[in-house]
Amino acid sequence: MRDAYVQLIGLEKRFGSFVAVCDINLTVPEGQVTTLLGPSGCGKTTILSLIAGFQQPDRGEIRIKSLRVNEIPPQRRGAVIVFQDYALFPHLSVFENVAYGLRRRRLRDPELTGRVDKMLSFLGLIDERAKSPLQLSGGQQQRVALARALVVEPDVLLLDEPLSNLDAKLRVRVRTELKEIQRSLGKTTILVTHDQEEALSISDRIAVLEAGRIRQVGTPYELYTQPVDAFVADFLGIANFLPATVLDTSQGSVLLDTPIGGLRAESIGFRPGQTVTVVLRPTALRLSSTSTAGTVKATVRSTSFLGGFRRYELLVGHFPVIADQPMSGDADNHTELWLSVDRGAGLHILPAGPRS
Amino acid sequence: MGRRDWIKALISSAPKGTKALAPPDTPEGATLSRMVPREPLTLLAGIGVIALLIVFVLLPILAVVTYPPLTDYLTLPENGRWVRAAMNTCRMVVLSTTTATFVGFVYAVAISRPELRGRWTLRLIATLPLFSPPFTLGFSFLLMYGRFGLISHNILGFEASILGWKSLWAVQTLTHFPFAALAIERALAITPARLEAAARNLGASGLTVFRTVTLPLVRPAVAGAALLIATYVLADFANPLVIGGDFPLLATEAWYRIDGWGDIGGAALLAATLLPPALLFFVAERFWVSQRNYSVISGRGGALGRLPLPRLVTWALIAICVVIATLILSLYFGIIAGAFTETWGVDWTPTLDKWPVAFSKSDHLRNSVVYAATAGLAATFFAMPAAFLVDQRAIPFRRTVDFLCVLPAAVPGVFIGIGYLLFFGGTPLAGTAALMILAFTFANLPFSYQVLRSGLAQIDQNLGKAAANLGASRLRVLWDIHCRLLWPTCVSAWTATFISCITNLSIAIFLVTSATQVTTFSILGLIGDNRLEAASALTTALLAITLVTVLIAWRLSRTPRLLSVVVDA
Repeated sequence: MRDAYVQLIGLEKRFGSFVAVCDINLTVPEGQVTTLLGPSGCGKTTILSLIAGFQQPDRGEIRIKSLRVNEIPPQRRGAVIVFQDYALFPHLSVFENVAYGLRRRRLRDPELTGRVDKMLSFLGLIDERAKSPLQLSGGQQQRVALARALVVEPDVLLLDEPLSNLDAKLRVRVRTELKEIQRSLGKTTILVTHDQEEALSISDRIAVLEAGRIRQVGTPYELYTQPVDAFVADFLGIANFLPATVLDTSQGSVLLDTPIGGLRAESIGFRPGQTVTVVLRPTALRLSSTSTAGTVKATVRSTSFLGGFRRYELLVGHFPVIADQPMSGDADNHTELWLSVDRGAGLHILPAGPRS
Repeated sequence: MGRRDWIKALISSAPKGTKALAPPDTPEGATLSRMVPREPLTLLAGIGVIALLIVFVLLPILAVVTYPPLTDYLTLPENGRWVRAAMNTCRMVVLSTTTATFVGFVYAVAISRPELRGRWTLRLIATLPLFSPPFTLGFSFLLMYGRFGLISHNILGFEASILGWKSLWAVQTLTHFPFAALAIERALAITPARLEAAARNLGASGLTVFRTVTLPLVRPAVAGAALLIATYVLADFANPLVIGGDFPLLATEAWYRIDGWGDIGGAALLAATLLPPALLFFVAERFWVSQRNYSVISGRGGALGRLPLPRLVTWALIAICVVIATLILSLYFGIIAGAFTETWGVDWTPTLDKWPVAFSKSDHLRNSVVYAATAGLAATFFAMPAAFLVDQRAIPFRRTVDFLCVLPAAVPGVFIGIGYLLFFGGTPLAGTAALMILAFTFANLPFSYQVLRSGLAQIDQNLGKAAANLGASRLRVLWDIHCRLLWPTCVSAWTATFISCITNLSIAIFLVTSATQVTTFSILGLIGDNRLEAASALTTALLAITLVTVLIAWRLSRTPRLLSVVVDA
């Protein structure tokens, strides 16, 4: 049974007149990675520091293992954080950094050394145990911070932008490592990030935040394919937002008039004449050099080669469209192509007009 | 961080070390130096710098050490009074350093707490002793708590001499604790709140966080402050003269040898005995403690505030600080009140009668201002090329030059005074105002040199390259980039040197003649003649000049654009 391991109920935090977070309701299941995703200033780090107890919420409740923890001081919360810049103690060795939490729990040798060394070996740091954290590389420092948090066996592991201080190449490797470690320990984890790729790859569930409020909670796939609004759709990757009008709702599907022609989608609850927005990922579009039925003429404004695919910036009439195509050698010298929507790709329709 | 550093930090809007200092020996610096061709003019400037350093730093110091014959050094332990002076000095350094550092630490913890409302006032009060002549507190201690002191005699009804080592100890503690307070406060301020939060998060309670994280992180700052205070107490000369009574110390004995006996050899001998411990403190501070400073990376995510202290601790801190601050304020009150009193301790009628006496010494005031202002300019102007040449590696014997530029910081003022007296006695410079200015200049060189060095190091190398790339010549780059960016640094270097010189006694006392009298010396004379009210008036005038200068400098360094416009025009 995956219980509601950490619960945030109606959480609100203000700084003066500024509302940092508001009306936060979130359930974090045991053993999973739940990510708070949003742009900087959206309040995600504030939520983390409320859970850790560094700040007190103005309203609402935090529960860990069904127990209200609002009144419990930070040193007894069992929610241990890995800081964005690791906050390693510069005056202590790697070993002592990792041992710090255990010493505060009055652990004595030999158990203390045993647990620290086991954790250091687990994270491949055993050769660095006597070094100062300042002598380590960024990736190693990150693992020391992780070891320091994991060794006390916290109820919840809090990760504050854990990869943001690493360079691009290391980031992907550490991301995989992090996921493996989390999986093998089954540690309930709350991760904070602004990087959608990081969120999509690590998380079991994602909560997208904007301006202190949760916009949507769901699995990465749900959020990517069925965003509730344009903000979520846009934040989780590049998307085309096509303003559309519902023409017909008979036959159990809707017929839409869009700048790239008529589109049919499996969707209910719309009425004819309604203005909607169609979300189309660039990968859902097909390009060909010949005109066939159901295609529309597109002018190529520019293309860029991005490794696995080529990205086209197109104009359909006056409407800009982005399409990603797997490598096709001959397509790049065309100035005009024929655009169609991949039949397999589900269209996602948002009720409101597009964001300006 | 010395006294002048704090003055600089207080008045300057110059870069506050937010950008990580590139170590002076970065490979980047090396590549730049290879770009600099060995121009004959540069080489000439380098040789000039070296020559001046040898004549005005190295040789006067050597003159003191080599003046007494070796046999005098060997018979030193046989002179009972001098052995006593050495023991007393040792006792004073240990006692005062311990208490001043401790008080400073408590004070620092208090003024670094954000929940403390009045901490700005407390900090301001702690900085007052930095702007005052060295004997101010000793003198005022006499006024307030002495035989005819306002508080001791008139309010509490005692009548007892307070001259002696206990009073000296109290005064040294009050005079020097601000260095510890400000240095430790700065160290506490750069200790990221996140480290404390991390410790909390891992299960440490408030006091444990302090013991296991905060304290170890500021320990280098505490050690550095203690060594600095030890240097100052060791060299302090003015307070023992005023309040020490018959408590011989090495520094004061050196002066009595000359003043009473005309025994310049004995003075040199005593001053020379001050050198080894002073150098030891200096080297320990510079090469041991400062290497141990944890360059804590202050990254992003600084939104985390500090967790509050227990209420009881906060109140205890406030109580201690208020007592100390009140004590300091009472001493400054004593000085100012003394300036407007008929006869201190006897007749409290308010009067302006003492001011004519003070103004009769206006030529001394003028001398003080002129010498200090000139020395400030000279130190800044000399330090600029020296720092620039060392920074650009365009000078021969670079490390030696660097060492000579900071050496005077290790040498007590008494030592420099005697050195100049010995080395330049008999030359045309002897007894002139120029010699006094030169002594001031080179005694204060380390500060100007160091702030300009770090100022230069903080200027992004790419700025110069960018300007050159856009077509600026090397001179143009120096003017457009370095001089503009270092302007606030220069202003604060000048101001700090000015204050240090105008309040100086230990060097001036050995070099004054009837034509080159300075205010600090005449105040000392007035105190000696028991004309306390006139001494108060003169001290008040000196304090006023210092404060006005600081305010002007503060304005200037905060509006660099205005002045660069003036300079351009």
